[in-house]
Amino acid sequence: MDVLVQLILNGIMLGSMYAIISVGLTLIFGIVRVVNFAHGEFLMVGMYAVYLLSLHLGLHPYVSAVPMVLMLFAVGALVQRFIIQPLLGADEHIQIFATVGLSTALINLALLVFGADLYSVQAPGVRQPLSIGGYTVLHAQVVMLASALVLVAGLHLFMQRTPLGRAIRATAQNRNAAQLMGVRVDRIYVIAFGLGAACVGLASALISPLFPVTPTIGTYFVLTAFVVVVLGGMRSMYGAFLGAMIIGIVDSLSGYYIAPDLKEVVYFAIFILILIFKPTGLFGFGRGTE
Amino acid sequence: MTVRVSLSEAPPAGRLAALMAWLGNPRVYTSLAALSLILVIPIVVDSPFIVHVFVTICVFAGLSTAWNIVGGYAGQLSLGHMVFYGIGAYTTALLIQHFGLTPWLGMWVGAAVSVAVSVFIGYPCFRLRGPFFALATIAFLEVVRLLAIHFHGFTGGSAGLIVPLKLGWAWMIFQDKINYLYIAFGLLLATLAVSYAIRTSRLGYCLTAVREREDAASAAGISNTDVKLKAVMISAGLTSLFGSFHAMYLTFLEPETMFSLANSVSIAMFALIGGLGTVAGPLLGTVLVVPIAELARGWLGASANGLHGFVYGVVLVLITLTLPGGLAGTFGPRVTALIDRLPGRRVAPDREAPALRHIEGTPGEPVLETRDLVMKFGGLTATDHVSITLRRGEILGVIGPNGAGKTTLFNQISGFLKPTSGTVVIYDAEGRPVTPARADEYARLGVGRTFQIVQPFGKLTVIENIMIGAFMRHTSVDDARAAALRIARLVGLLHVKDVEARNLPIGDLKRLEVARTLATEPSILLLDEVMAGQNQTDTQKMVELIRTIRDTGVTVIAIEHNMQAIMSLSDRIVVIDSGKVIAQGDPREVVRNRRVIEAYLGEDFVDAQGL
Repeated sequence: MDVLVQLILNGIMLGSMYAIISVGLTLIFGIVRVVNFAHGEFLMVGMYAVYLLSLHLGLHPYVSAVPMVLMLFAVGALVQRFIIQPLLGADEHIQIFATVGLSTALINLALLVFGADLYSVQAPGVRQPLSIGGYTVLHAQVVMLASALVLVAGLHLFMQRTPLGRAIRATAQNRNAAQLMGVRVDRIYVIAFGLGAACVGLASALISPLFPVTPTIGTYFVLTAFVVVVLGGMRSMYGAFLGAMIIGIVDSLSGYYIAPDLKEVVYFAIFILILIFKPTGLFGFGRGTE
Repeated sequence: MTVRVSLSEAPPAGRLAALMAWLGNPRVYTSLAALSLILVIPIVVDSPFIVHVFVTICVFAGLSTAWNIVGGYAGQLSLGHMVFYGIGAYTTALLIQHFGLTPWLGMWVGAAVSVAVSVFIGYPCFRLRGPFFALATIAFLEVVRLLAIHFHGFTGGSAGLIVPLKLGWAWMIFQDKINYLYIAFGLLLATLAVSYAIRTSRLGYCLTAVREREDAASAAGISNTDVKLKAVMISAGLTSLFGSFHAMYLTFLEPETMFSLANSVSIAMFALIGGLGTVAGPLLGTVLVVPIAELARGWLGASANGLHGFVYGVVLVLITLTLPGGLAGTFGPRVTALIDRLPGRRVAPDREAPALRHIEGTPGEPVLETRDLVMKFGGLTATDHVSITLRRGEILGVIGPNGAGKTTLFNQISGFLKPTSGTVVIYDAEGRPVTPARADEYARLGVGRTFQIVQPFGKLTVIENIMIGAFMRHTSVDDARAAALRIARLVGLLHVKDVEARNLPIGDLKRLEVARTLATEPSILLLDEVMAGQNQTDTQKMVELIRTIRDTGVTVIAIEHNMQAIMSLSDRIVVIDSGKVIAQGDPREVVRNRRVIEAYLGEDFVDAQGL
């Protein structure tokens, strides 16, 4: 029983990490209606930047979170403006190829610049265990969970309470109608893509102390994030959050009870089953076949 | 665009002549000459490195060509295609290791396994669209890769698997690398031939139709799942053969390279760069991009790690932004026009099929019945216990205000919607009542329909659009084209037959809807507002066309808002309002029916007129 509770706790901590990445992916898909295959590479770029800031300026990764959020917002906005926007009217497969191409280019650029070596970021204190009622978690994991909750709550308030949030929601629901109401849809898309990428900026700062950065680290995380997003119904931030928790727990339990190297097989199997049998996601927040 | 010289149909004595005629076509001899360079250059240069580059070109061009059958022709963007390559490689290597089976046989076992896996993956995934299909294929690739690592006792796991080194042709392992090139080139030629054959066959047209518009393809009697499955099976088998060969060339297998996501993306990328859905595109893309990568690797060594991938990625983004049709898609027509100026045999002139066959049967007998059709969308009842009978040889007009449920009724009697309750009965050629399950089955039973919102295959020409319909009754491309030409003449589209459908004005698009449906040779024709948006001359032509069609024995049921036209055309009228049949009978009586006037003009009008 103790083991089970500890595993579930681990799962929730892992889930909060996936949540931050997946919420960003969901924002982009839900609003711009483009699946960003380069999302993981944004994370990778952020993690290398965190590493460089720590190495050269001695910045703690958590301090780097602020510049990372800003930098990735800019990256996302630029990608939307110069790559996605010209392709909005193009065939779907062209949009897929564009982000896949961006992903390939970024992975290999990192390989060219940094080589295939692992780089770890030093972050004093964050890997310290913390004991809660006999169960242990790391400080970094608690920060992750708190950040995920604050992120979702913050985005919720932003979407519901601000005029810009309302314009974004209107655009997500009906591109044309929003445009007729005077919403500058192109600008909304740039902001939405920026926000989605900014989420990964936050994630890169929080993940850096826990995982060493490699050129392919993004692929590792983003495939899981895709599973989460599909599970959560593609369009919904809250669905993505819940989906991330479920995948975190599945990851933790199957790693222990089945085999550590088969945990991905378990959630990819869930992914395929959800896509095929319940494309609206587990909670019915969206539609997968559109 | 196709070179229509059939070898198989020629009598034995004429085969040689047919072959010579085929070779005399400029498009054929220039293609063959260009292809032979892949073999000639490495033989002349005679450097192991160049041979390696060309073997790699053959393998990736072949993989990309095979991928293009699914990704290009069928438009299903698989990004996990290396799963079949890996299966081919591992099956062949393991069969040598455990059973001493020669790779020449092992590769076919691998292909069979891959085909089976492709059905297992394709059948459930084909209902997914665009990015979700791509994601599902990536997920399958990852699952197989992880399983290959996990069951290391069987596959060698991450440590890898070394192919037993037995030299010679029997084992497909050579000291002189040039022998690999012969095999790789042979495989590439075979794959290109398969790809060309599909492109210019009924299957190729059906795949394009399914890619462009699934509903319109169903209405033309094409089973979407069937044709996509055929494409993925052929593609998986070919991909697997290349995997088997490449395993013998590399002699070392590990899950990371055999089930590589990066390579899966690369082969798709080569096809896009060269031209998605074209025969030559994947080869062209590979020839342009692979040498850059291999030369960079050869000259710069490990310091260039990642350089080729970076170039690939940048090129891919640039192509999507500037040349989404790829090289072959953008420049192909111009190059073909140049090649056609060379001396040689020309494409055979078009043939037109004889007139429509007359449909047999007793006029007046029921051909289609609906029994208490109820269709509910959530709280809305779109059709409410609709029972109508369609009689052979009549023109039945269906009228009613907007939102009355007319199109919903059509969707049910053509199989696009399954009624909430009630049944549709079609009487087949032998007079037996049947209820088909899917839209394409309705079409094959002789129920042809048009769509209110026109559904052309935009990137196909007018004649090709009509051929999609004609393929339901004809298997050969020539016969389908002949039948399509005859119908193009009948409906008045002959003068625009080679125009791409997306460039047509609405009047012609409406006629194209009718033409494509007519080409399926229906015995029952469902016309959904084919006169809407037409000017008076066009409307008059359409009325005459419908009469001509009826005179060949086709039974017509038409939804129409153009009252004058439908009243003069119909033998009988059914009026639907709020999902219910409120009147039916002779047109002259129906227009005087109080409930019909109410439905159209409101109760107040009826009262005011004192009717």
